[in-house]
Amino acid sequence: MTYRLEMNDMTKKYGDFLANDGVSIKLKKGEVLAIVGENGAGKTTLMRMLYGLEQPTSGEIFLNGKSVHFTGPEDGIEHGIGMVHQHFMLFPDFTVAENIVIGREPKSYGFFNRKAASEAVQKLVEQYRISVNPARKAGDCSVGEQQRIEILKVLYQGADIIILDEPTAVLTPAEVDELLNTVRFLASQGKSIILITHKLREVMKVADQITVLRNGRVTGQVKKAETTADELAQLMVGRELQELSERDQLEGAPLLEVKEITIGINSSKPVLDNVSLMVNRGEILGIAGVSGNGQSELIQAISGLKKVDAGSILLDSKDVTGTTVAFRRNAGISHIPEDRYLWGAAKEGSIVDNGLMGYYKQKKFNRNSVLLKNAFRSKVSGWISRFEIKAASMDDQAGNLSGGNLQKLIVARELGFETDFLIAAEPTRGVDIGAMEYIHEALLAKRNNGDGILLVSSELSEIMALSDRIAVMYEGKIAGLLDRKDATEEKLSVLMAGGKENEASKNTAAIV
Amino acid sequence: MKLQRILQQSFKSLAQPLLAVLIGILTGALAISFIGESVWDTYKVMWNGAFGSFYFVTATLARATPIIFIGVGLALAFRAGVFNLGAEGQMVLGAVAAALAALFIPGPGIVKILSALAAGILAGGLWALLAAWMEARFKIQLLISTLLLNYVAVLFAGYLVAQPFQDKTGSAALAQTSMLGQAAWLPKLFPGMSLHFGFIMAIICAIILYFILRFTSAGYEVRMLGHNPFFAEYGGINKTKVLFVSMFFSGGIAGLAGTAEVLGSQYRYVEGALTVPGYAWTGLMAALLANSNPLGTAVAAILLAALQTGAMGMERNTEVPLEIASVIQGVLILFISAKFTFNWWNLRKKAGAANGSV
Repeated sequence: MTYRLEMNDMTKKYGDFLANDGVSIKLKKGEVLAIVGENGAGKTTLMRMLYGLEQPTSGEIFLNGKSVHFTGPEDGIEHGIGMVHQHFMLFPDFTVAENIVIGREPKSYGFFNRKAASEAVQKLVEQYRISVNPARKAGDCSVGEQQRIEILKVLYQGADIIILDEPTAVLTPAEVDELLNTVRFLASQGKSIILITHKLREVMKVADQITVLRNGRVTGQVKKAETTADELAQLMVGRELQELSERDQLEGAPLLEVKEITIGINSSKPVLDNVSLMVNRGEILGIAGVSGNGQSELIQAISGLKKVDAGSILLDSKDVTGTTVAFRRNAGISHIPEDRYLWGAAKEGSIVDNGLMGYYKQKKFNRNSVLLKNAFRSKVSGWISRFEIKAASMDDQAGNLSGGNLQKLIVARELGFETDFLIAAEPTRGVDIGAMEYIHEALLAKRNNGDGILLVSSELSEIMALSDRIAVMYEGKIAGLLDRKDATEEKLSVLMAGGKENEASKNTAAIV
Repeated sequence: MKLQRILQQSFKSLAQPLLAVLIGILTGALAISFIGESVWDTYKVMWNGAFGSFYFVTATLARATPIIFIGVGLALAFRAGVFNLGAEGQMVLGAVAAALAALFIPGPGIVKILSALAAGILAGGLWALLAAWMEARFKIQLLISTLLLNYVAVLFAGYLVAQPFQDKTGSAALAQTSMLGQAAWLPKLFPGMSLHFGFIMAIICAIILYFILRFTSAGYEVRMLGHNPFFAEYGGINKTKVLFVSMFFSGGIAGLAGTAEVLGSQYRYVEGALTVPGYAWTGLMAALLANSNPLGTAVAAILLAALQTGAMGMERNTEVPLEIASVIQGVLILFISAKFTFNWWNLRKKAGAANGSV
C-alpha cells in the first residue's frame, strides 16, 4: 500500500550545521507517529520542512505516493497537513467558533455567517468528541481548551495529517490524559498524527510508530509494541540514564520564611491568600500545582518583583519585605525564572550580556563602573563548557540559542551566584534529558551543600524526584504540605485539583 | 577570526541602511528623470553642493551639527526602549534657556558659555524628564506625551521671545532675543566658514555615548532595559531610575543641539530658526537609520545634512526643485519603517521557532 506521507532522506543544512541528516519517516492512514528526541535533535526542523516553513537542502516528500514541494504553510494546509503549535495563536476576544473558522469563514451573501460557523464547529465537536463551548470567548478558556480549539481549527481546515508540537508541555495531568484519548480517537477516525515530544511516558501510551532523533540523525525507528521507555531514552541520549545521587537527611536552620502573605487583598479572590511556608537550609521545598494557582505570584513576591499587600518575608531571620530586587539578590536570593524569554533573558543581547545580569556591579567585573568584559568572558566560557551550552560564539545573540541551551545559560548564571537561597521555577522546562540530569544534580548538590531551594515545577516527576517536602498550591492557597516519604502522585493530584488530603486514598481508583 | 566576525557584523548592520539610501537615490533618480533633467548631472550638482569644495563641506557639517546632537540623544532613549519623539521641544527649550543664560548671567565669556551649556542641558533634560515622570507616575505613554509636549515647548519659547525677552533694539521687532555678546560665541573652526565648535562637541558627545553604552555598567543597564524591561527588573535594575536618567540625558543632548546653534550660529534665539529646518525630525531619521548606534547616527546625520545642503546647491544651479531631497528623504523614511516591520516580522518568526521544540 502507499503511505499517506513519506519523507525520504531529508537533509537540512544551516551553514556547516546539519540540522537534519538523511532523515526518513513513513506514516500510514490512522497511525500515530511519535518523533522523539532531545532539544536540538532536529524534530522541529523536520516538521518545518514538512509544513513548508523551511526548504530542505535535499530530500523528497511524498503525499499519497505523489511527490510534493511546499513553499509555505499555505501549501501544507492545502494538502491536508495541519500543525498545532506549542504556543497557541488565538484571538482572545473572539469566540471559540470564530477562532476555529477564521480564514475560511462560512459566508452568506458575502457576510460572515455566525450561525453556520457555530453549527460547523458543533458538528466537528460531536464528530471528533472534543469538548469545547463554541460560544465562549477564547481568552476565557483554559490552556487545555485552547489547545482543543487549535486542534479543531486544523480539523476544520480539513487536515488529514495533524502535527502536534510538544502538545503536553502546558497541560495538567488530567488534561494530558484527555488529549491522549483524543489523539487515539482521531487516529481511529482515519487521521494520521505526528506527535513531537520528549516525554516518553506519553509516547508509550499513544504512539504506534516511534522515530528517535539525535543530533539530526535517526537513531531508532521502532514499533511501540517492541520497545520500552528505557530503550527509547537510551536511543535519545545515546547512553544509559543515571539515577539521582543519594541524599543525606539534613537538619538545617530556617532560611526563608514566608509569613501569611497576601496579594490582591481587596479582591474577592486574592491571587495569593495568606500563604505561609518555610524553606530550611539543606532542603528543597517543592511547590506543586496546576500553573496559574498563585505560583508565579509567590515567586515574584519572594524575589521582590511584586509587592505583597500583607504579610512578611524573612531571609535568614532578616525582614526583606518591601525591599528591591537588587537588595534581595545581594542579600542572597538567586532566581531561575519560570519563563526564560519573559524574565530570564534579553534575546537581542549577546550571550555575554545575558550572563552579566546580576554580576555587572561585582568588583571583579566592574572597575569604576567600566565593565571588565574580558574577566567576565572567562566566567561565561566556564559555564559554556560545564553545562555544554551549544553556542556559535559568546557574542552571538542569546535569541539564537535553542530554548534548552538558553535555559542552561540561565541556570548556570543563577547557580553561579552561590547564594544561600535559590528559587528554581521550572528549572528544566524544555531542556533535554542530559541537561535535565545535570541541572537536577546541580540542584541536589546545592542542597547537600546546606543551601535552601524553593522548587516550583509543573512536572510532578521533577517535584517528587527532588523535593524534601512538597507544598501544593490551589487557588492562591497552600492546599497541603507533604513529606517526601508520604508524597504519592495520587495524593498530590487530588490536592492539585482542589481536593482534600484525606480524600486521596478514597478516590485514588477514580483518578488513576 | 575575530576581526572577520566584527567586519561581518558591521556589514550586516550597515547593509540595510545602505540599501535604504541606495533605493532612496534610485527613486530620486526616477523623479528627476520624470522632470526631464539628466540624472547624472543633477546628482553631480547635488554632490558638489554638499561636498564639492571645502566651503560646502564645512557648510554641510555645520548643518549636521544639531542633527548629530539630536540623533545621538534620541539614540540613547531608543536604546533604553523609550520612543522619545520630543526632541524638537527639548531642543527649543534648551536653545531659549541657553540664550537667556548667555544674555543675563554676568561674567566673562567662558562663564557665560558654560552656564549656557548647563542651562541648555538642564532645560531640555527636565522637559524630557517631565514626560518620563508622567509615564512612570500616571502611565501616560511617552510616545504621545513627548510628541504633544513639543507644541507646548515651541509655543512657550515663542512667547518668551515675542513678549518678555524680545529684542526691542531693532525696528523690525522680530520674535527673537537680543544678540549675545561676542565673548559668549562659540569659535568658528575656520575663518569665514559657518562650521563652529559645536560640531566638535557633537562628535565628542557621540563618541562618549558610544563608549558609555558599550563599556560601562550604566550603559549595560540602559541596553538591557531596552532589550527586555522584564529581564532588567528581574536582574535587579531599577527601571524607573534608568528610564529617568536616560530621558534626562536624551533631552539634555537635544537641548545641547539648540544651545550649540544659539552660541555657534545664530548668536541669539530666533523663533522658528530651529523648527523650520526640521532638525529634530532629521535627527530622528539619523538615529533610526543607524539603528541607534551613536557613531552610526553621527555618520547618518552628516549624510542627511549633505542631502539637504546638496539639494540647495541643486536648486541654485539646475531647474530641479528642492523637493527632490524631500522625495529621497520620504523614501528613506518608508524604508526605515519597512525595516522595522521586517525586523518585527523576523522576530515573530524566530519567536515561533524558539517556542517550538527545535
